[in-house]
Amino acid sequence: MTFPMDSGKDCVRAWEMMPWVLQDSATAEQGAWLEGHLAQCAACRAEFAQQSRLRLALSLPAQPAPDVEAGLGRLLQRLDAPAATPAPARARAAGWLNRALVAAVLVQALGIGILGVKLWSAGSAPAYRTLSEPSQGAPAGTIRVVPDAGMTLADWNALLHALRLQVVAGPNDVGAYTVAPASSASTAQQALQQLRSTRGIVLAEPVATP
Amino acid sequence: MHDDDLDSDVTDRLLLQRMANGDRAALGILYRSYHGRLCRFLGRLTRRPEVIEEVINDCFWIAWQKAGSFHGDSRVSTWLMGIAYRSGLKTLRQHGDAPVEDDPRREERSAAHDLDEDRELRDWLSKGLDRLSADQRVVIELVYGVGHSLDEVAVIMQCPVGTVKARLFHARVKLRNVLPGLAGEPPQRTEAMP
Repeated sequence: MTFPMDSGKDCVRAWEMMPWVLQDSATAEQGAWLEGHLAQCAACRAEFAQQSRLRLALSLPAQPAPDVEAGLGRLLQRLDAPAATPAPARARAAGWLNRALVAAVLVQALGIGILGVKLWSAGSAPAYRTLSEPSQGAPAGTIRVVPDAGMTLADWNALLHALRLQVVAGPNDVGAYTVAPASSASTAQQALQQLRSTRGIVLAEPVATP
Repeated sequence: MHDDDLDSDVTDRLLLQRMANGDRAALGILYRSYHGRLCRFLGRLTRRPEVIEEVINDCFWIAWQKAGSFHGDSRVSTWLMGIAYRSGLKTLRQHGDAPVEDDPRREERSAAHDLDEDRELRDWLSKGLDRLSADQRVVIELVYGVGHSLDEVAVIMQCPVGTVKARLFHARVKLRNVLPGLAGEPPQRTEAMP
């Protein structure tokens, strides 16, 4: 702890004694001792003068003071009021307001929680698709195939059946189909080779999947 | 304790006994007797003149209810100031500690019946108290304004005497550093104790 005077033990003792001498609760000996110290210590004298001024300022009546009789009248009315309590209506209103705010916050937290769970579960399969994506949810091994314009539908169907492929999209503007194997990716590799070697197939390219 | 204090405490105890028996006249006497010091004390604590009457009435409402359970462990004034302190703190929590804007009408009213010297003293004090926390203001008011001992302040504020001592010390240091400057003298800085 610091002491606000550049001083010795006597000044510390004087500092501690001042309030009690000022409020007249110190003993006569203490008062006499302080008086003796003040006579020889200018710093403590200045401090004591300021403390006296502080006490004087604090003894001034409150400004403005409420009217005592009017206040007492209202207190007596309150004693007569049924189920009077020390808590004013304002406090009760504040209590309700607080409860309502807590309820609102809880409802919000619940809503945010539900929303969070929904977003988390939907996160792995986004419900949107960019325009640059080749096809919606293209599975592994998907192949884009452009058959020759002269190829008959029967030949095309037979080819797909033989290679165990199925059309998942198309034809698009340039006549390209997107086909996918019914079973596994290794089948797709074989199917790609066979498609490229089949007459009547102009183009067979695997669709790059992310 | 002074003889005057002893006498007034005896009177206060008798009033409390009468209050416990439902004597409203006794309540009125106690109310009038404490009104001035409670106004000042609650003004320092809450710094909101508009709530002072409400807090005083909260305090006496509780005193009226509990008059019968007063055991005399402390002086009646200490007991009553403790109730006022807690009622004031409750109001402070509801309204906040910031002082309200000065009402110009209030200034005029004060000026009308306030000597220049008193007004200067009030301003000087108010600028000093503005630098203190609510608890420091309370300790300063209870010790210098009302004249309570450290032990009594500890009972009122329901804290250890050491805490009251520390609050009083820091409040005095702050006031010492602030008030001389406001009074036109250079402020004296806090220095380490040798």
